[in-house]
Amino acid sequence: MLAHDLRMAWRSLRRNPFLSALMVGALAVGITASMIAITLYHARSGHPIAWKDDTLFAVTLDLRDDDPDQGFSRHPEYPPWQLTYRDAHALYASEIPMRSVMMYKASQIVTPEREGVKPFGVNIRVTTADFFRAFDTPFLFGSGWSRAEDDAPGAVVVLSKFMNEKLFGGANSVGREVMLSGHSYRVLGVMGAWMPRPKYYDPNNGTFDIPEDVFIPFGWMQALKLSTSGNTNCVSKRAKVTSFESLLAEDCVWLQYWVEFRHPADRDRYQIFVDNYTNDGRTHGRFPRKNNNRIVNVTTWLSMWDVVGDESRMQVVLGLVFLGVCILNTLGLMLAKFLSAAPIAGLRRALGANRMDIVRQHLIEVMVVGVLGGAAGLLLTLGGLAVLKGWLYSGMLIGSDNPDRVALVQAFVHMDVSVILFAIGLSLLTGLLAGLYPAYRIGRLAPATFLKTQ
Amino acid sequence: MIDMQAVSKIFRTDLVETQALRSFTLKVETGEFVAITGHSGSGKTTLLNVAGLLEEFDAGSYTLDGHDVTRLNDNERSRIRNEKIGFIFQGFNLIPDLNIYDNVEEPLHYRSMPAQERRERIMRSLERVGLSARMGHIPSQLSGGQQQRAAIARAISGDPRVILADEPTGNLDTTMSNQIMDLLQEVNAAGTTIVMVTHNPELAQRAHRQIHVVDGQIAQIHQFNSRTASQSATPVTL
Repeated sequence: MLAHDLRMAWRSLRRNPFLSALMVGALAVGITASMIAITLYHARSGHPIAWKDDTLFAVTLDLRDDDPDQGFSRHPEYPPWQLTYRDAHALYASEIPMRSVMMYKASQIVTPEREGVKPFGVNIRVTTADFFRAFDTPFLFGSGWSRAEDDAPGAVVVLSKFMNEKLFGGANSVGREVMLSGHSYRVLGVMGAWMPRPKYYDPNNGTFDIPEDVFIPFGWMQALKLSTSGNTNCVSKRAKVTSFESLLAEDCVWLQYWVEFRHPADRDRYQIFVDNYTNDGRTHGRFPRKNNNRIVNVTTWLSMWDVVGDESRMQVVLGLVFLGVCILNTLGLMLAKFLSAAPIAGLRRALGANRMDIVRQHLIEVMVVGVLGGAAGLLLTLGGLAVLKGWLYSGMLIGSDNPDRVALVQAFVHMDVSVILFAIGLSLLTGLLAGLYPAYRIGRLAPATFLKTQ
Repeated sequence: MIDMQAVSKIFRTDLVETQALRSFTLKVETGEFVAITGHSGSGKTTLLNVAGLLEEFDAGSYTLDGHDVTRLNDNERSRIRNEKIGFIFQGFNLIPDLNIYDNVEEPLHYRSMPAQERRERIMRSLERVGLSARMGHIPSQLSGGQQQRAAIARAISGDPRVILADEPTGNLDTTMSNQIMDLLQEVNAAGTTIVMVTHNPELAQRAHRQIHVVDGQIAQIHQFNSRTASQSATPVTL
């Protein structure tokens, strides 16, 4: 019966190709608009480390002056995104977390040992040893360093896959030397392709940026007096930064701080520890506000950062509203088409089809329209995304030879399997919504009404 | 085969109420060929629609092939239409973009019938009406007579107990009309009951019985003596 209904649907669509094309086109345009919005939304709304959502937490403390105007985001109720060196250093002593990461972004000059490659600037991450395990970075060769090398600090370095290819042609470079701003570091590990999207561990310098290419132990911060190249915000009016040492001493935030717990329940213990720390600080004239320390998992962290953003959500809503308009138009066209073919439905009723047979046969016809509209919509979506890639995001690639950056940009305009499956489901649902009422109407018609006029 | 007792059918609009059938009582025996005549608007087609379970009626009772079909739901009415009734219409009512084979197959789709059996029935029906060679043609490629023969093939493909024909020769010339009537008589001779609405008195006389309808009521019955030919008529005026 399904094959028969499909054949009937196809013949019915061919009976009036212009009207059929109009319906398919309307659905295709609606699906395209909504799918482009959903694809962009999907690219921004991914969870880069979902498997650690109950153990990996960002830590923020609110040590702002008691000044209601002092906000660090669109949400003044949130504490600053980063910590001072003083606070990060104090929290780092806690043994409640299984892993603690304090870190910041800096920049260095790399002098390649390969002939013909000129020195070039590079973004580096100065971090404690737990970075690699806390954020589950993949390794092609070697590994990260130990806490002992944080303190020493050890002249060791971890390279990104891209940097290893650039400096060593992709070979196993563990044990080789890298010159960073005049200091030699031994390569301890080479990371595999790693591009958390969004860059949740440090969204301060762009929520959708690629990770740094070089990682060195946190101890080099003081050893080299290595300043941050990221954001620094002084949260106290008294703070005055005149030197590297004063940056470490003043209430200016510039370090990202993360912890990983062995058990999710450890988070509550840690919250008490942090609150006690700020309570204690208040007795010494710091933390003038009441406790607003937040220890948040990645999901909450990205939400606080508005990574998806109201614009993205609005785009999706507008896309779906537009799809709704297209569905209504298709519904009208479908109703007109079905009613014009009512004599044939009446004839089928006379020949023995019951109401459900007629409704089902017409629903299959609208599903065919939905599938065709979905297929056309998918093609249009791919075309639209290609235009976006070439036009809207092309600026992000200027001057970059890093394939990871290219991949990041392409990821924004890439439809993965889940989005494609969603599009297929959406097209079927769209067809169903557009055709349910017309099919119901045609099924309710009295069979005798049109037999004389057929 | 058909037993209608005091059947009434009223069409209502906001302004007008039209009584199409008034306490209409009709019995048609199995194997009988009955012609229904009457002027336009007399209720002939309504009678056929009610008899064919295409329309419900307001009062009375109706027994078809021994089953009380007075108050059936849509599914049951559809099933009985499909299994017991064949329809032939004045305008042929073939689906224009299906070929003749597919048109004849259409009612068989609504039964759970294996494809092989469907095919055998279609071929048998098309052979009976002499259209085996035309089964790949679409209706517009056939003459009016051929289209009506295709419609007859469709009607008989399901081996119905009764065929309801609404002006089956209304769109045909005399020669074609006679051919169609010959075919219907053959079908009837094979045991299928036929109820035919017609304006043509000559064709009506080829039935076993002619029932003249006026204003939704039987006005006159002409009983012919033979079930296979129309020689003498015995009019009964009511």
